[in-house]
Amino acid sequence: MLAEFDGLLRAEGPYKVGAARVPVARFVLLLCLGGIVYGAAMGSYSMRPLQMAYSAAKVPMLLSLSTVVCLPSFFVVNTLLGLRDDFPSAMRAVLACQATVAIGLLAMMPIVLFLYASSDNYRFAIQANGFLFLLATLAGQRGLDRHYRPLVEKDPRHRIARRLWIVLYVFVAVQLAWVLRPFVGSPELDVRFFREGAWSNAYLVIFKDVLGFGLY
Amino acid sequence: MKSLFESLDALLRGRLTRREDLVAGRVEIPVRTLIVIGILLGVVYGVCMGLFSVFRGAEDAFLRLFATAVKVPLLFVLTLAVTYPSLYVVSAMFDSKLRHLATLRLLLAAMAVNLALLASLGPVTAFFTASTESYPFMLLLNVVFFSVAGFAGLTFLDRALKSVFEEPNTPSLPPVEREERGIPGIPGIPGMRHARKPEASRRVFKFWILIYGVVGAQMGWVLRPFVGTPNLPFEWFRQERDSNFFSALGKTLAALLGG
Repeated sequence: MLAEFDGLLRAEGPYKVGAARVPVARFVLLLCLGGIVYGAAMGSYSMRPLQMAYSAAKVPMLLSLSTVVCLPSFFVVNTLLGLRDDFPSAMRAVLACQATVAIGLLAMMPIVLFLYASSDNYRFAIQANGFLFLLATLAGQRGLDRHYRPLVEKDPRHRIARRLWIVLYVFVAVQLAWVLRPFVGSPELDVRFFREGAWSNAYLVIFKDVLGFGLY
Repeated sequence: MKSLFESLDALLRGRLTRREDLVAGRVEIPVRTLIVIGILLGVVYGVCMGLFSVFRGAEDAFLRLFATAVKVPLLFVLTLAVTYPSLYVVSAMFDSKLRHLATLRLLLAAMAVNLALLASLGPVTAFFTASTESYPFMLLLNVVFFSVAGFAGLTFLDRALKSVFEEPNTPSLPPVEREERGIPGIPGIPGMRHARKPEASRRVFKFWILIYGVVGAQMGWVLRPFVGTPNLPFEWFRQERDSNFFSALGKTLAALLGG
């Protein structure tokens, strides 16, 4: 297993930059593994097994569904930019990025458990997880860069495709994370897969809460 | 079905609008196939867009969905009809090598590109539709997606027109072959007009883009509702006439931010 992690992080073996085949199944496996383990740890805040199970399902869902939703436009954008022949490589870059995020989270799982053990503050737990997700995402960007560097060298238009991917992906992932909440699970509330009124819009909530606008 | 996708694929890859062909004034695309593809792609996005009323449990939800699915392709067809003549006049004035049918084909191709990108954003729209109560937000999201897709279509057109307006003495073809292909403006032949600077033609094209953008936006406004306020009764077209896209956009922004 460690060899797989190593291969992914260093882009070696089946995960090699520019390898003939895109190891989709391996990426998915790593993504699920990292996501499930971290999710379970994330949901362990209030020590309720059901919440752990829910969160374990939700983290891989978050990583994979946001990718699936954005892939069609990524495909069309790549084709329009004339980068279609490189699409398998671009796809490998994106999948490697997502798998790296999951493995990054997996690596930070002990930190979450330690933080949970050391503090009872729910807000702090949320913020800590947010920060760890940010770190994992940055790690994922590094994976994305590693695969994209030769592509950009070959054709600078890949830079546009990568930027558009990041913008669209972040836009969708933030909303999906909001819809899938709770991930940590407040000890004062019941364990639920979705919060009541889960299907609302994250951006409007952010506007309302952070900027204090009155909203619909 | 397979041939539909193959044509779309070839179009998106730029294989149907090769520089050599455009310089020679030829646009050879399967017109009928592209129309079918364009309509299908429009319907796909229309369905994603119309899901708003289904998810909100509005009255006549499926009728609304159907209306939106029909209106998105209609929006493009009508915009094409309204803006095509001006594109033709502008390009003819500037010695475009494309005849009127070729110009129409090229515009059609650009619209298919536009619709392909739009349809590929469909899943994102559907996801936000499922998870958003706010009508102004969905409206603006759709405006953004239509603009992004429109921008892609126009970039495609711009790139194609660059070859169309290219001065014929720049391509790498030998003069004899150019003559055979019937490319005018060969230097050194008395009486032959020189093509105007491609830069000027493209500046005029930029002006045409403005027309296209305004007409497209206003056409969308005329054909509204697309998303459909769930608590208003179903109408094929809204009756209120004293309004336009831009003032409505301002109002929607204000509603979203100001409440």
